[in-house]
Formats: sequence, structure tokens, C-alpha cells
Amino acid sequence: MLSKLFPERMPSTWRLGLLLAVLMVCSTALCITVAGWAVRRNLSSIAKAVVLDDLGEYAVFYNRNGLKELRDVFAAGGHDLDQAVRITAADGSTLFEQIPPAVSGYAWPRQPPGKLRPKEALLMQIPHQSKAHEILAGCQLLDDGNTLWFGRTDAEDRAYEDHIRNQLWVAGLVSAVFMLLPLAWFARHVLRPVQEMMISTRKLAEGNTNARLVAPNAVPELQAFATAFNDGLDRIDALTDELQSANDNLAHELRTPLARVRGNLETFHDHTDNDIARDSAARGLEEIDRAADLVQTILTTRAGEHKALKLHLEICDLCQLLADMHDLYKAAAEERSQRLHLEASASCFALIDRQRLNQAIANLLDNALAYTPKGGAITLALEVQSEHVRILVRDTGPGLSAADLTKIWSRFTRGSAATANTPGMGLGLSLVHAIAHAHNGQSGCENRLEGGAEFWIKLPAGDPLASANGV
Amino acid sequence: MHLLLVEDDSELARQTSLWLSEAGHTSVWRDKGRTALIALSQEAFDAVILDVGLPDMDGFEVVEQMRARGFGLPVLFLTARDNVNDRVRGLKAGGDDYVTKPFAVEELMARLEALQRRSGSTPAPSARTLGKWTLDPIKRRLRSGDESVELQPREWTLLEVMLANEGRILTKKFLLEKVWDIQFDPGTNVVDAMICRLRRKIDAPGAVSHLQTIRGKGYVIQALP
Repeated sequence: MLSKLFPERMPSTWRLGLLLAVLMVCSTALCITVAGWAVRRNLSSIAKAVVLDDLGEYAVFYNRNGLKELRDVFAAGGHDLDQAVRITAADGSTLFEQIPPAVSGYAWPRQPPGKLRPKEALLMQIPHQSKAHEILAGCQLLDDGNTLWFGRTDAEDRAYEDHIRNQLWVAGLVSAVFMLLPLAWFARHVLRPVQEMMISTRKLAEGNTNARLVAPNAVPELQAFATAFNDGLDRIDALTDELQSANDNLAHELRTPLARVRGNLETFHDHTDNDIARDSAARGLEEIDRAADLVQTILTTRAGEHKALKLHLEICDLCQLLADMHDLYKAAAEERSQRLHLEASASCFALIDRQRLNQAIANLLDNALAYTPKGGAITLALEVQSEHVRILVRDTGPGLSAADLTKIWSRFTRGSAATANTPGMGLGLSLVHAIAHAHNGQSGCENRLEGGAEFWIKLPAGDPLASANGV
Repeated sequence: MHLLLVEDDSELARQTSLWLSEAGHTSVWRDKGRTALIALSQEAFDAVILDVGLPDMDGFEVVEQMRARGFGLPVLFLTARDNVNDRVRGLKAGGDDYVTKPFAVEELMARLEALQRRSGSTPAPSARTLGKWTLDPIKRRLRSGDESVELQPREWTLLEVMLANEGRILTKKFLLEKVWDIQFDPGTNVVDAMICRLRRKIDAPGAVSHLQTIRGKGYVIQALP
């Protein structure tokens, strides 16, 4: 709910800071309002008591010793700033008035607001004609029938109230500054660890499987999170290792018996004088070699899909690599009356597993040669861009059907153009995919407008030395 | 050659010993790394054929210990694990060459001989003629009187590798590695195509070819058909 208040990209420190500031302003304002109201209530009851008290005293002085006594006592009190006293006759005319300049300007009533009984005092508030101040006045009937008026302004009370309000504001601001301290804590123990974790996860995403979340100063929850996350990663690593060693063992378990069979068959082949038997043995040898390759391909594909493929990385010139592959396939293409073109001119160095990448390209070329009719053309091209390089194999074969485009990369799937005579078991492209994946790259295919298909392997570009240091 | 064969699979060891004796070599078989190291200190061998996956210690360790004890003889790894990292690890540990299971007897022999040559026991055979042709390694061409045939770099390398192992059947895998530096077998018959092309260049029309394909095994060159 609160998140909608902020611009999308605003950092959380700012969000928290703004929230805290708003909360502080609100709470300070609330404090001041409540405190002001309470102070005002207290002050006004004190003011009433003072007025009633003084009124009573002045009435006693007047009744006992007359106007002179009252005047003397009032003058001796020194209340020039906030008090006034007057006496009116029953008809409302002023008999005596002692109103200092600071207390002038109030419209005193001519008559008491109601019928006064002796000794009884009545209180009223008289507003100033121009200022916001008021006088709290009281009147009392004197023994001689005149009325005694006594008033006191609230100027002092208001000044007092203002003073308290100012103090409260200062206190509020100071406490606001203190309340921003959690912000520093938040930035150091929550935000920075989160940012560091973000960097680590980015490294993970880039394929650096050794990266772990570190949160040395983080709050316990984040530390627990990092620990749990790292434990998960360790488990994945352990599984990967397990898969790797399982692959190695499986390879061993399958290759050793194949080697035994092959050895015996080879001995038989070399020692028999029977041509038919020798031919059968030769076919058997070919099949065993194919089976051994198949085992290796399945294991490589499986490992590649689980990111468990051990790469032997070295810095290679992709242009040279493609030229070598072109060189390797040229004769075979010519034999089939196909033209094999190479479109790679600029050197492009990359950190790759040369043998694996060769194998991936070879698989694409195998397909292209198998599916392109006689007289067709196959192009092996290198496309260098700022963020990535693409190795492309274009053919002029039948192209791909819509169904092929989606499922052709999965294991044991062959394209719709495959016939019983086309070699392969449908493992080639999944191997290409696995190898591209292991290089943090991608593989893909599309139909060309001119006819035929285009397969590509996309590898991340960049300074191979920089990435070499990172590995 | 007198060879030490270290292999834990007795059937493979039996076959290999048989092949070695057929090829005129003698061999001693051990099935553990520790016993192999003892055998090394008791007898003088020309080379070691060493399985990587041994029950007590892996082949890399055996080589490291061998080298640490001052045995400089060539080592050929025999392994079921086919990846470049293992290959590199084996070579780093002090191995000299690498054969993956399943392997062809010719491949093993070709590599053994190459090891022997490298260690200087026998000079490299330098067949510089091929039938009527004389080889001109500087210009990479074949000459016969006024006739001459230009070979492309790979064709020349292929011819050189085959001539260096003249009369021996060379497997496709061996040729791919030595000529193209490729450690897998592409689905397309690339080696066949290259051999055919070379054949067209060097063989006289109608004559028996210098280059023979032996089905299921590989290719062989004869300088004099």
C-alpha cells in the first residue's frame, strides 16, 4: 500500500527517510495541539481564580475605607500592564476608572449582565476592539450600591502559551533528528547487505557458481537468509559434483566393457582368414565406435543441461576456429557437390572450450550437409556484435516446419525432413544447445526467407582476458 | 620395447598384452598403482601404459610419484574418461600421451611408437618418397620428373602423419587428432573425403592406391604399393 506513494525507482533509504519525516511532523503537531489545549485550560482556571480573588479584595477595601483606599492599593500593586479597575453607578455612569494604556481599548459593559446580589461576583469576557486579546472581567455589587469592575488581560497567558509552543517545536525537531538515526542503521545493516547480495546473485546469474551471498554486518534475518541461500547453493554444487562423478563412473562402466568387446573383435578381425567374418567384425567395430561416441554425447548433453559440464577454457580466435572447421568439411562438402562458404574475416578472440565448441559447430555442419541437396550451398559465418558473437550455419535445405522450430532442440528429436537414410539419432542439436548453454550462450534456429534453415550459436562477447581472470 | 602395463581390468590387460607381444614387444602387467611403482624400481622399462582409474590410486598420482622418484620414461595414459580437462591434467601430471577406451590396437601402437621416437630411442622414419613421387617439404608438393602436385596445408599434414606411420593402420580418431586437432568424431565422413581427395592427387590412374581404407579399422599408406 505504502509502496504506491513513492516513485518506482526511489531507493528505500529515501522512502524510509520521507516516511519518518512525515511521521515526526505529524506527531510533533499532535503533541503541540494537545499540550496547548491542556495549558490553556489550566491557565484559564487560574485566571478566573485571580480575578475573583482580586475583585473580592478590592470590594473589601472600598467598602471599608472608600475610593481612596482602593486607588492606593491598586497603584501599589503595580499592575500597569494587565489589570484595570473601575466603579460604575447604578445607572451605568462611570464613577471611577483606573485603566492603564496597555489594558485600554476594551468595550466595558455599562451594566452588569444580570441582577447582582450582594457579595456575588459575575465573570465575563470582553474582547478587544482590534486585537485578539481578551479581558476576563468580574463585577460585584458594593455596599453603596455602585458596582466594582475588575479586569485582567490574557496577554501574559498568551505569551506563556506561545513560549511553551516554541519549546515544543524545538523538542520535536531535535527528536526528529534522533529519529533519523535508524535510517543510518538501516542503510548500513539492511540496505548495503542487500545491495551486496544483489551483486553476488548477479555474478551467479552470469555463471560464476562459486559466488556466495555475504552479509557480515547485516541484520540477523538477512544473515539467516544468506546462510540458507548459500546452503542451497552448496547443495546444488554438491549435486552437480555428484552428477559429474556419476557421469564419469557411468562413462567408465560403459567404456570399459566396450573396450573389452572391441579388443576381442579386433583380434578376431586381424586373425581370421574368412573374408565374410572379417567384414562382419569390421562392421561390429564401426558399431562399437558409434556406441562409444553416443555414450559420450549423451553424457555431455546431460552434463551440459545441468551446468555440470567441465569446460577447458582457453582464449581462441573464433575466426580461425571457423576457418579450421571450414577446412575440415570442405572436402566432404565437395564430395556431395555442395558448396561450403566461409564468411569470417575479422579476428574475434573469446574464452571458450575449443574442442566442445568445435563439436557443436561440427554438429550443425553435419546437419547442414545431411539436409542440403546436391548443388546446394552451406555458409559458415561469424557475426561479431558489441554484446555477443554469433556463429551461423545456413543451408539451402528444406528448412524447418513450425513444429520443428519448437521441439527440435530436445533429445532424440529429429526434424521432419529427416529420412531413414539421414544419419543421427537426434542428439546433435541437444548437444549444441548444451554446449552453448555451458558457455553462457544460446542456440537457435530460423527459416531463411530465401529458403533453407539457419542455425546459430550465440556466445557472450567481451574482453576474453577480463573474463579469463574472473574464472 | 619392454613395457609396463598398469590396468585393473584383467580382460583388457590380457588383450593388450597379447597385442603387444604380437607387435614384438614384451610387457609386464600390474593391476595397482602401488605394485606398478615397485615394479618400476625393480626393472628397466622403455615406457608405461597406465590406466587412469586404478583401485588404489589414480593414474595421475602414479605419474606424479614416478616423476618425483626420478623415472623419466614415457607414459601413455589409458582412460575411460574422455574430456579435455582430464587430458590436460594427465599431461600436467607428467604423462606423455592419452588413449581413450575403447581404443583400437593400431592407435595404441602408433602412439607408443611416437612416444618411443620422442624419447629418442629410434630415429623417425623419414620416408621421403611415395611411389614415383619425391616429397618437397619446403614447397609442400610432390614431384616426379616434370610433373608436380601442389598439396594444401592439411593435405600435406595428413600425408606427413600417415608417412610417419607408414604401413600401420591409422584410426580415424588418431588422424582427426593429429591432423585437425579434433578430439571427437564428426558425423560427416570428413576424413574419408580428405583421403579420397589425397588419393586422387597422388595415385596414378588405374594403379593400386597408396592409400587403403581398412573397413572398421582405419587407413593405411604404403610408400611402395
